[in-house]
Amino acid sequence: MSNNRVTRRQFLNYTLTGVGGFMAAGMLMPMARFAVDPILQKKAGGDFVPTDKKASELSDTPVKVDFTFEQVDAWYKSKVTNTAWVYKDGDKIIALSPVCKHLGCTVNWDGNKDFKNEFYCPCHGGRYEKNGKNVAGTPPLGPLDEFEVKVKDGLLLIGKTRANTLV
Amino acid sequence: MFWTSKDIDEFLKQKEFIDTALVPLVILEGKDLGIKQSASGAEFLMSLTNFIEQQFKGRIVLTSPITYTASMSKEDIITAIYDELVAAGFKYIFFITSDHEWNRFTTNYDMIWLPSIPLGDMDEKVKQSVLSDQLRQVIPVLSSKWSKQ
Ligand code: FES
Repeated sequence: MSNNRVTRRQFLNYTLTGVGGFMAAGMLMPMARFAVDPILQKKAGGDFVPTDKKASELSDTPVKVDFTFEQVDAWYKSKVTNTAWVYKDGDKIIALSPVCKHLGCTVNWDGNKDFKNEFYCPCHGGRYEKNGKNVAGTPPLGPLDEFEVKVKDGLLLIGKTRANTLV
Repeated sequence: MFWTSKDIDEFLKQKEFIDTALVPLVILEGKDLGIKQSASGAEFLMSLTNFIEQQFKGRIVLTSPITYTASMSKEDIITAIYDELVAAGFKYIFFITSDHEWNRFTTNYDMIWLPSIPLGDMDEKVKQSVLSDQLRQVIPVLSSKWSKQ
């Protein structure tokens, strides 16, 4: 009977090791996470994301194509739908990022009736030509980024962004 | 921009361009029916304001949502928040909510009121089109203020 009794010393040993271990874990875990996180993080748009746009439907006028992936924004984790402006230049499919190179608003094709056949940014009036080239004298200092594209089974796939290759 | 250190750094550098604050007002209820409704309302408002942020990242700072209960004084909440944001240097301050109790503040503040739509079970594509529709209601409110200078 007395063999099973936990002595005071044993009790303290157990609990203190327990608490100490817990505290150590509390300190080490965040450090480990900081170290590992960048590797574990899946880059948004790192792979090709399918859309339901048929490649055969594209024309030389840019159209909005949505695609959805997981993203963590500040405290809010969600599925995010992004947009690309997609058109055809001859046989080549061009997909431009809608993110304004000034401060990141979303640009629209033909977004302002005073500037036909251009991308227009509603925030500070940034403008871009169809190939994404920024119009001098408006706030943006560079061209719109371009998405990598692929066609699979007739459907458009959208990949990573890269610097504009058309301008 | 979001209410994050990185985005706020950007705001501090670019106040001339990032001149608008958007403040979600979200009611929290704990009882019976209220709890589900308040959760669903918050969900809607968070999705919508995130979408607005995406469209107007370079001009709008979306603050962290202001959560309150029915018993808290709306006057106190809104004046305190407003004063802080004025002190921060925002030229335009919009509040956005689905709680119609805020309607009586529309004369003194820029209040965007939208009926809450339950997004919970919606498929991502449907949800996106609902949000786009709602965004279309919000844009004229923003741009009419902006164009007044
Ligand atoms: S964010 Fe597009 S012009 Fe400023």
